[in-house]
Amino acid sequence: MQANFSVYRKEPGAGSKAGRSTYTVELPEDATVIDALLKIRDEQDPTLGFRGSCLHGYCGDCTVRINGKAGFSCAVKVAPLAAKGGEIAVEPIRNMPVIKDLISDWDTFLWDKIDVIKPWLEPNGAASLDGEELIDDKVMAKVRQAMSCFYCGLCDEGCTVLPVDFKFVGPAALTKASRFLCDPRDHATAERLRILERPKGMWDCVHCFEASEHCPREIAPTERIIEMRDMAFKHGITNEKVARHHHSFANSVRNSGWLDEGRLAIESEGLTNIKGLMKLLPTAAKAVARGKAPIPFLHHKRPGADKIARIIEKAEAKEK
Amino acid sequence: MQEFDVVVVGAGAAGLRAAIAAKQAGAKVALLTKVHPLRTNSGLAQAGINAPLGPDDSPEAYAGDILQAGDGLCDPAVVQNFTHQAGDAVMWLERAGTPFNRAAGGRFDRRRIGSNSRARSLYVDDRTGHVVMQVLYEQFQRERIPLFADWFVTSLALEANRCVGVNALGLRSGSMDSFAAKAVILATGGFTRMYLPSTVSMGTTGDGQNLAYQAGVSLIDLEMVQFHPLACPGGKGLMITEAALAEGGQIVVAGGQPIAGLQGATRDKICLAIAQASRNGAGGVWLDLTMIGRQKLHQRLPQTLDLIAKVAGLDPAKDLIPIGPVAHRPVGGIEAGTSGQTSIGGLYACGECACTGLNGGGRLAGNILTEMVVFGARTGEAAAAYAKSAPAAAFPAGRLDEEKKRLDALISAEKTEYTAGRIHAELGALMDAKAGLLRDAAGLQAARDQIHALKDKYARLRVKNQSPIYNYELVSYLELGAMLNVAEALVAAAAARKESRGAHRRSDFPARDDRIGISHTVVRLVQGEPQVDTRPVVAL
Repeated sequence: MQANFSVYRKEPGAGSKAGRSTYTVELPEDATVIDALLKIRDEQDPTLGFRGSCLHGYCGDCTVRINGKAGFSCAVKVAPLAAKGGEIAVEPIRNMPVIKDLISDWDTFLWDKIDVIKPWLEPNGAASLDGEELIDDKVMAKVRQAMSCFYCGLCDEGCTVLPVDFKFVGPAALTKASRFLCDPRDHATAERLRILERPKGMWDCVHCFEASEHCPREIAPTERIIEMRDMAFKHGITNEKVARHHHSFANSVRNSGWLDEGRLAIESEGLTNIKGLMKLLPTAAKAVARGKAPIPFLHHKRPGADKIARIIEKAEAKEK
Repeated sequence: MQEFDVVVVGAGAAGLRAAIAAKQAGAKVALLTKVHPLRTNSGLAQAGINAPLGPDDSPEAYAGDILQAGDGLCDPAVVQNFTHQAGDAVMWLERAGTPFNRAAGGRFDRRRIGSNSRARSLYVDDRTGHVVMQVLYEQFQRERIPLFADWFVTSLALEANRCVGVNALGLRSGSMDSFAAKAVILATGGFTRMYLPSTVSMGTTGDGQNLAYQAGVSLIDLEMVQFHPLACPGGKGLMITEAALAEGGQIVVAGGQPIAGLQGATRDKICLAIAQASRNGAGGVWLDLTMIGRQKLHQRLPQTLDLIAKVAGLDPAKDLIPIGPVAHRPVGGIEAGTSGQTSIGGLYACGECACTGLNGGGRLAGNILTEMVVFGARTGEAAAAYAKSAPAAAFPAGRLDEEKKRLDALISAEKTEYTAGRIHAELGALMDAKAGLLRDAAGLQAARDQIHALKDKYARLRVKNQSPIYNYELVSYLELGAMLNVAEALVAAAAARKESRGAHRRSDFPARDDRIGISHTVVRLVQGEPQVDTRPVVAL
């Protein structure tokens, strides 16, 4: 089979411009995209840069975008793409800085971020040295699921926060943190939550669920992030602004049945936080000018607010 | 130049474990690797990790199984020593956070895989190696050991039969540097990428074996190459874990009839039975997992289910999976003691690149990870101790410049008739056909001649990519050189062993022959040619 490829190219260095190279390759019917890239590098263009290791879909090293969809070049077959005609586009995955061609910078994208979250177990010392620690397999299954992560980068690739703030620790590193927080053998829960509540940590996730949608292993990073936030509240470890936001949100719904956005903004900043409140002014002014300002003292109860309050009471009683 | 007490080369399970042990023993350690630790071939190990921890088990029973799988070639003292340490080494992994599957009551669940006489393999679903690697990498990070990832070691620095460091190429920077060290640990993994198809990762190219061999260290029992019986040709050598058999899967011929006598058999016997059935015109051999049921497959073999679907395009809950033996792991390698020591002072080897005499002619299923952590830890400790007591040795002046010149001379825009990829493809097909599952004198002679011819072509080959950063053409070139050298030594070893034993099967000498003496095959490089010797196996 003959296939045409259009491959993203970029020379190393800050100033270099990105471009594309096109190649036509003769391939066997069962060829994968990495087979094509290897053949191109061997026979046509030795300068083409790309990564790969296991060749069988389990190591995550060769993640690229193929015709706009992120995947593993060692697992995506060429034949169905070639059958559509035209060029098969191969590009580096999104959100990751490119070093050269399809070789992205995994250090700044992933490994350095994981390094921040204290990525090792702090044993709780419960187990004797020679004896087995008895643990229910359901508990271990959750740890195993987190550790089925093979660092392919697809969750971070799908993340909607990383494109606007690359310093965000990202769903992959947060999933790694969850691996320790759900492990009963670890004793550093409080310390871990304090690390995660720092700016650029778990509170910067906007729970868009893209990470969970993108994860090929059904690890559910977004649900794990939400769970860790709950854990932080239970441990009374949450940064003040987030706690105020949380309380204001809950109070508003309890009292009026819906969200008082003006009060939420003010209470989240803190009533004595003059500097923070001043920062809200330009946004508030613009909102007023456009007739969209949520004025706290004009906020009224919605119909059926009492029923909503009772639902909240019941839920809270159940949780206790 | 950078200076350390201990430099570890390779970031699979053995390399990480060695680096951690050396650091904990007080050494200043660095680890160099051409691929990130979590992308190494150690992640391929799936079914489990052996340890004699069950109430019905003992180090002695475990040793009995290893000796049987080794078909007379194991060094019994090494085996005994190993089986007494395996339990602690695996418990170390558990304490560090490995989430082994639990049985009812919360105790470790254990699988009985391959020819183990007991359920002895602790496991993490069907991705034991992948998860063990994460735990090792976590502990490696905890020790704050400098990691030089995307660094390719091009040569050892030797001075008066002592290894005093390495020269390496930084792929990202595109520049060479020297790493002076009192001790160097090779933990570079196997070499079975010289076979095509092959179950292993792209980088499993015998780099460490070649470095040691070129330095004059012997390679032992190289002819013992394990083939994996459950590889899927539709997935280009995609390996299906033997845990699939432990979970109830069966190897069947056309009509769904199971091949008899494979329960609890060693890998080499299963491979031969499959090859035999294929030759008998059975129309093919399949792995049947349908009786396990989708739910249990999802629970017990989630990765297998996923990979077979994605890579081979089959549904194991419904489809029979065509299988055949594919080159998997070497059993032989760099001659090393149980603390990793080699015949060169300060040079150590552990893991799959080393041969300690533990596995003899064939590795027991579930032993690879145990071997990596037991010998990794001991080698790390031994190298650290050596570094503490060894006198300082100067890194040979000018050696880095010589190495730069050597690599520069490889780069040329001049057109050559061959490419590295084509030579590799020819080598892979040749090894599979002539030095594969079944061998004979004529085939091995032909392999020897053809490897010579390939080496001639290789000598004329040049690297065309002149851009220094991430020059993977240069890396492939160097890897191919290592594969050709080790392949030549392997073929010499296979020709010399005129019997069938363990993983080495000769159609012209189909039986095990104890009369010729139970010996290891020893290959040394003498004036550029492999010279084969034997060394008797030491009985207890």
